[in-house]
Amino acid sequence: MELTREDKKILHRLQSNFPLTPHPFRTLAEELGLEESEVLRRTRAMAEKGIFRRLGPIIDTHEMGNTASLMAMRVPEGRIEEVSRIINAYTGVSHNYLRKGKNKEIPYNVWFTMSAPNKQELVRLIKEIEEKTGLEVRNLPTTKKFKIGVKFSIYKEE
Amino acid sequence: MNIEKVVTSKTTDRVDIKLLKHIQDGIPLVERPYKEIGEALGMTEEEVISRIRSLLETKKVRRFAASVAHRKIGINSNAMCVWRVPPDRVEAVGKIMAGFPEVTHCYERPTFPDWPYNLFTMIHGYADGECEKVIEEMKEKTGVKDYVILYSEKEFKKTGTRI
Repeated sequence: MELTREDKKILHRLQSNFPLTPHPFRTLAEELGLEESEVLRRTRAMAEKGIFRRLGPIIDTHEMGNTASLMAMRVPEGRIEEVSRIINAYTGVSHNYLRKGKNKEIPYNVWFTMSAPNKQELVRLIKEIEEKTGLEVRNLPTTKKFKIGVKFSIYKEE
Repeated sequence: MNIEKVVTSKTTDRVDIKLLKHIQDGIPLVERPYKEIGEALGMTEEEVISRIRSLLETKKVRRFAASVAHRKIGINSNAMCVWRVPPDRVEAVGKIMAGFPEVTHCYERPTFPDWPYNLFTMIHGYADGECEKVIEEMKEKTGVKDYVILYSEKEFKKTGTRI
């Protein structure tokens, strides 16, 4: 899908908080100098084409009382599909990637993030994955956050 | 009022959970989304709006917005770069790295005998090779020279955080 200037303008704005007004698309339209129907039509088209995944709450697991962490595993080449299927079956797993070091060899290849209602439960789930796969899971929890917030520069006022 | 907020900041009531579960995959793209959500859950439009507002205020919801599929809009250069930073410099280096607009995430994580990299950064760029350029700049600005670029060969799963 080729995005028009208007699409980009809308998409850029949609990355920030959506208006909490009874007619949020009208509020957006007034802000952007467009018609409500146009904003709604273009937003729907971009959603259908998968330009954005969803328009909704980005939940902070930690503030919800949950705990989350990044996990790394060294999985033998021939078992990658099987092991990733086991990992993906957990609803707490939000990301799972096969990664390689570009400039250096690294000891892990499967990287995933997992959340649980509390620390004990997370530790239990890690143990369970270790038992199911027979492989070690390296737990790399965040000790300090310097930046979090995926907002891309999509549209710039000319 | 404030005292109540502090006390309940780590607990989320059942109605909030019900609401979040209903909208976590996206709100309906209609003229009055909050009215439609309210009708489905037996709440008024005002209650839906005020609950979302308070979830944002208590930071249980980090943002109420669209998650852009960056690869679909041409942001094709993506890298995770991990750095080995002396512990006494983590604070300063983390702040410098977080200051780069192309860096979307910057976290400190523990080290292990086989894993000496304590600072994790995610970098996104439009042009091919843009991330490598940014990494060069990060290296120069911080003086940290020991790093590994981890690129993703395959995406097995990617969803937002769900409850």
